[in-house]
Amino acid sequence: MPDTSKVDTRVTVETPEGVDFQFMIAGPGKRGMSFFVDMILKFGIIVVCLLLLSLLSLLSWQVSGISAGIFLVTWFAMSWLYGSCFEAFWNGQTPGKKSQNLRVVRTNGTPIGWFEAFGRNLLLVPDGMLVLGQLPLNTVGLLSMATTRRMQRLGDLVFDTMVIDETRQFISRAAGVTDGVERLRRSECIGRFHVPERTLAVIERLFEGDRLISDGRREEIAQTLSLALRSRLKFSEPGPDPMNPNTYFVQTPLKHTTFLKRILKTFSDNPDGRSAEPEDDIDATPLNIIDVAADGPDSGPNALGVETDAQSADMASAVGAVTPRQPFSPDGRTP
Amino acid sequence: MNRERFIRQRRGDWQQLETLLTGMKNRRLSKWSGNDITRLSGLYRSVCYDLSLVQSREWGARLEQYLNDLVAQGHNCLYRSPPRSLDTALKFLSHGFPRLLRERRHFFYVSLALFAVPFMIAMIVAAVDPVLAEQIIDRTQMEQAGKSYSKDLYREIDAKYAEERSYMTGFYVWNNVGIAFRCFALGAFFGVGTVITLLFNGIMLGAVCGYIINQGLSDNFFSFAISHGSFELTAIVISGAAGLLLGWGMIHPGELSRRESLRVHGVDAIRLASGAGAMLVVAALIEGYFSPMALPHSVKYVVGAMMWGLVFVYLMQGGRDATDAGTVTDPHRRRASRESLAEAVE
Repeated sequence: MPDTSKVDTRVTVETPEGVDFQFMIAGPGKRGMSFFVDMILKFGIIVVCLLLLSLLSLLSWQVSGISAGIFLVTWFAMSWLYGSCFEAFWNGQTPGKKSQNLRVVRTNGTPIGWFEAFGRNLLLVPDGMLVLGQLPLNTVGLLSMATTRRMQRLGDLVFDTMVIDETRQFISRAAGVTDGVERLRRSECIGRFHVPERTLAVIERLFEGDRLISDGRREEIAQTLSLALRSRLKFSEPGPDPMNPNTYFVQTPLKHTTFLKRILKTFSDNPDGRSAEPEDDIDATPLNIIDVAADGPDSGPNALGVETDAQSADMASAVGAVTPRQPFSPDGRTP
Repeated sequence: MNRERFIRQRRGDWQQLETLLTGMKNRRLSKWSGNDITRLSGLYRSVCYDLSLVQSREWGARLEQYLNDLVAQGHNCLYRSPPRSLDTALKFLSHGFPRLLRERRHFFYVSLALFAVPFMIAMIVAAVDPVLAEQIIDRTQMEQAGKSYSKDLYREIDAKYAEERSYMTGFYVWNNVGIAFRCFALGAFFGVGTVITLLFNGIMLGAVCGYIINQGLSDNFFSFAISHGSFELTAIVISGAAGLLLGWGMIHPGELSRRESLRVHGVDAIRLASGAGAMLVVAALIEGYFSPMALPHSVKYVVGAMMWGLVFVYLMQGGRDATDAGTVTDPHRRRASRESLAEAVE
């Protein structure tokens, strides 16, 4: 796989099983947010403690030295032990980190221990240094984060930890591609209202972001598949809208591309459209995971849109799945 | 195997792992059933295999990303920090900490010198010539310190006493432990911050001490300070040693790489600092409740001397007998524990 470590914030870690996988390192923005959340929480706990204790003192009609002592100990715990205790007992997370989906781990991916959690939180002192008036600017920590590959502040460097971003977003498989097009309506297609998974995957590849294809070329490539799908779905092309013919003329030059986008939108964004006519190779209840898993760009050798035999064959076989007898030959798509 | 067939075959397992993970991730370790763990580890390993397959065949970035996330989640779920118990903590304090301190005693001596020498000088200067001492610290501050030791504050132990002392204990925890932790943490600036903190504290305390001696209040003062001073001063010096250790790891990596050196020294340093923190909590309790008691000075001196003896024995002998007690994990530590074993044999 390509080495992306220089470009983005991913770090490769080898598991004890001998598999490399990647962690996303959290940047100063998210860490700052979680720091802020923790700070508010700490402050809130101190204030609540103060209120409770003063309430107690009011009830007993005297300012108790014991409650003042408890207050000071709470203050101490909040300023020194809060982060370390949470990180030690919550497997590397504080409430703030949890809210931002962050986690502290060792740089080899294993969870941190008690002493690491404690130490990296004590080193917040030098990391928060270089103050401007009363305002801590965390200059040292930020500088250190800017200069290390894993964005480690001093506390992370010393205790060999890093903060990872665990946010996982399930992108809908056609995200971004199908904006601005409509779903196919059932009334437009009088044939079988179904497109198999493999064909959808091929369509997606055509719209991959890392593929530099001009619109005209994509339209050319799309034509074969589009024609085959049209005949299978028995799609009837609508004529120009009498009220607003302009869009018709704008869209006609790219009608095959648009048609494929509509296919994608209809059958992959909407699981109902697929399960309307379940076929043997498709689960009756498609889940989010399948969408993510089943799609996927091929970051293979033909990433620059150079048509290779492999891709043509892929395309042909996918179309073959639509119509077992191909009404065209792959040669029809000469560059 | 082609990509679509692979996905079709394997996604059942992926789904299972996903549901299993969402269920187990936020549950406590003790509530995991044995069946779940077996299933989790099996599924996790097979997904690891899937990931490496997808990686080697370049079957698409998003599929890889999905499996990658699944593996990462499973990894974090399966490999978590071992459960911490009170027992481990106590064992560390009774065995690991004194052993580690002896192993790193050179840093302790340097830290002691950095603290004690300016302390002595400032004390002598202030005792002989208080006017000169005023150059160092504020006069009002010294007078206030002198005033607080000029009379016995507590003639008897009553409710007011208990309340005030609880407040002071809280204050000592908040203030002293904070100072010790800061002293350690500032070692991250190549040890400079720690050196400054040690010198500064030594001079300040020494000057106050000297002023009180000069005022003829030494009996009141020393009988008050001797018992908790044992834990408190030692702990401050230890936290200084921890900070110096941290700085030393940065300045002088030796045969290790700087990163590795930081890690080795850092872990030892934080162990020392946590031990110092625990000692300071003990000191705060003594200072809060025992030191100001209305007892004859002689009693306090005797108890104080016993405290010093206790600290000395604890740091010199703690962890010498049981060689298996401390958590001996990395090779560095193992070598050290062999050394201490050899010492014990001698």
